[in-house]
Parts: sequence; structure tokens; C-alpha cells
Amino acid sequence: MTGFYTRWAIMVGGIILLTIMTYHQYQRDLSTISLATVLNSPTTSETVRIQGMVKSETLSGAVEQGQATFELMDGSTTVPVEYAGPPLENIRELKRMVLIGHLDPATKTFKANDTALINNFGFVAAAYLITVLSLGWAIFAMSQRVMVLFKEIKEEKLYEPENEPLANNE
Amino acid sequence: MLNRFIRYIQRYKGWFGGAAAICIFLGLFTGLLASPPDYYQGELVRIMYVHVPLAHTSTLAYSVLFFGSIWYLWKRDPLVDNMCQASAGICALFTALALITGSIWAKPTWNTWWTWDPRLVSFSVLLLILGGYLMLRKLVDDQERGGRYAAILAIVGGIDLPIIKFSVEWWRTLHQPMSFSTRGVAISDDILVPLTLMSLGAWLLFAYMVMVRTQILYLADLLQAKKGRLLSQTHFSQTSP
Repeated sequence: MTGFYTRWAIMVGGIILLTIMTYHQYQRDLSTISLATVLNSPTTSETVRIQGMVKSETLSGAVEQGQATFELMDGSTTVPVEYAGPPLENIRELKRMVLIGHLDPATKTFKANDTALINNFGFVAAAYLITVLSLGWAIFAMSQRVMVLFKEIKEEKLYEPENEPLANNE
Repeated sequence: MLNRFIRYIQRYKGWFGGAAAICIFLGLFTGLLASPPDYYQGELVRIMYVHVPLAHTSTLAYSVLFFGSIWYLWKRDPLVDNMCQASAGICALFTALALITGSIWAKPTWNTWWTWDPRLVSFSVLLLILGGYLMLRKLVDDQERGGRYAAILAIVGGIDLPIIKFSVEWWRTLHQPMSFSTRGVAISDDILVPLTLMSLGAWLLFAYMVMVRTQILYLADLLQAKKGRLLSQTHFSQTSP
């Protein structure tokens, strides 16, 4: 019985460890920060990811050659962007996008050198959680049931005669 | 007292469970942390590492059910019947999870939770067949008769397996075509490693779960038979003069 719960504790511990490692990696490498946080950040040379919508009537430059200027807005906050990097595919006004770069403290302009896809961690987390929890619960319940059945058979507590009303009546 | 096969299961099932746990843990590690994001889908591609193994394993589980049902109708071995019933329940779980994870993946990529795509429909039909199979087992009182009817349903339902497999080639669908075919493997190595590990882990996990579930069904039958025998013995000794 102790071995059973020890094995399950190790497995649950492993899954929790993996979840923490994944969360930290995604937070460090892929999470975006808000435009307001970038504008108020004291360390502006750090490369960050920001997410927002391309403001209408601000997009200009040679987009196919990877040169563009526009304004990125997120709620009421707007940041001017100077993009210089790989050619931009499918960029258009009012499109939500993730930009990678840093804020120039002098001009308060975001110097972007790459783009990334918008993260949908919720979908990924939901798929993994549903799978792991459902299978984990099913296997745990089944393993426990086998133990109980074996115990019942071994202890031979199969039938305990009781004062049966049927027998007494007769 | 116990059937030899059940004793073997009790002895060796742990190896399958352990191997499945190692493969799945390595698969999760490489799939979530080491493999790169997809160029078009980004991080969403990681859903593939659970969705595809679940879908593959559910078709494998149905194949076990299909051939087990033929074997049962031929030999009438109650242990094979237990194994078929175990496969059906686990296959239903894997199929439902494959549909749910597929739906979660479809929302951000196809912009819909569900579409009447041939692959999705044929896979849902599989779940309905399994639901029918499990209901037959529950509703028919005579266990032997219920097993026979369910086996016939499982064999007839086997027609759905080739439809699932080739639906992406026979019809114009949203679902991506087969990645493994005679034309070769259409997946890069970075994605193939976690996918292989997770698929192997899911197959081993299915084997482990079938063993445990078969044990449960066999032991429950054994216990019920013993209870019945003891009950009749005790009743007989108390009522006889």
C-alpha cells in the first residue's frame, strides 16, 4: 500500500516539476509585456516582447523589404515603432501582433527587429491539463480498485453469515 | 485459484506502466521544453504531442477490440471477453480525449470548435459505436449473451477504422493529410522525436490500462462467483434439516 502511494507521489511530483519548468521557460522566453510597462520601465536596453494592434493610418515604409514605421496601440497606450528586420508577412492596419525589440529611451520609440506569433498558451495548457488529469484519475482509480479486489480475495471476506430473516422465518 | 494469464498480468504490468511513465515524461519534456515552435502555428503545435498519440492509440485500441471480438466469438473464452470490454472502455476514454484536444486545437487554427469534416465525423462515430458497445454490456442481463451481441457490434463497427484512416485522402477535408505513408514521413526530426516518445508512451499506457482493467473485470467476476457459491452453501446449510 505504501509503495503504491510512493509511486504515485513520485509521478505527481514529476508532473508538477515539469509544469513549473515549462511555466518558467515560457514566462522568460515567450511572454509579452504591456506597452505601459515598457514605457515606464527603467531598463530600456533589455530585449522584450510587446503585443498590440497596428493603429490605423500609421503604417508606412517598405514592408516587403523589412522596413516599416507604425504605431502600436494596446488600450489607451500607444507606442511608435520602427521596424527593421525580416520582411513582414501579412502586416496590415488593425492587425494584432507581437514585436521583439527594445525601447529607445531618447525618442521613446520601440526599435523592433523581429515579430512572433500571438501566444495561445491557454489552449495548450487546457489540452495538456485535460489529458493528464483524465488519464491520471482513470489509472489511479483502476489501480486502487485492483488492490481492493485482491485484498478482498486474499482476506476471504467474501461472505459473512448474518442472522438472515429468511432463514429465521423458516 | 487465479487464472495463469491474470497472474502474468499481475507480475509484468508494472514494467509496462513504468516504461509508459518514462516515455511520457521524456515526451512531455521534449515536447514542451526542447522542441521548437512551428513557423505557422507557433506554440500551438505542442497540442499535437497529446492529440495525435491519443488518436493513434484509440484506433489501436479499437483494433484490439475488433480482433478480440472475432477471437471471442470463435473460442468463447471469458477472459478474452474481459479484455475486449476493458479495451472498449479505455478506447472510449482515448477517443473522447482525442476529440476534445482536437477541438481545442481547432479553435485557434481553424477558428471553430467543430466542423463537419469527414475525419472528425468518422472519429465521432467511433465514440458512438463504443458507447453502444458499453451500453449493450450494461443493459443485457445475461453476461454471455451481452458479450456475444457486443462482439458482433464491435466487428460490424470495425468498418469505421479504414474510413477514419483514409478519410483525409478520399474526401476534401480541413484536417491535415497523413504524415506517415508510403510516400515517406512528412515531419521534421525536431517534432518527430517528442511525437514518437509520446506515441510510444500512449501505446504502453494503453497496454498497461487494458491489463489493469482486465484484472478488475476478471477479479470482480471471480469474487461474484465465490460470493454466490458461498451464499448458496450457507443458505443450504442453514435451511437443510
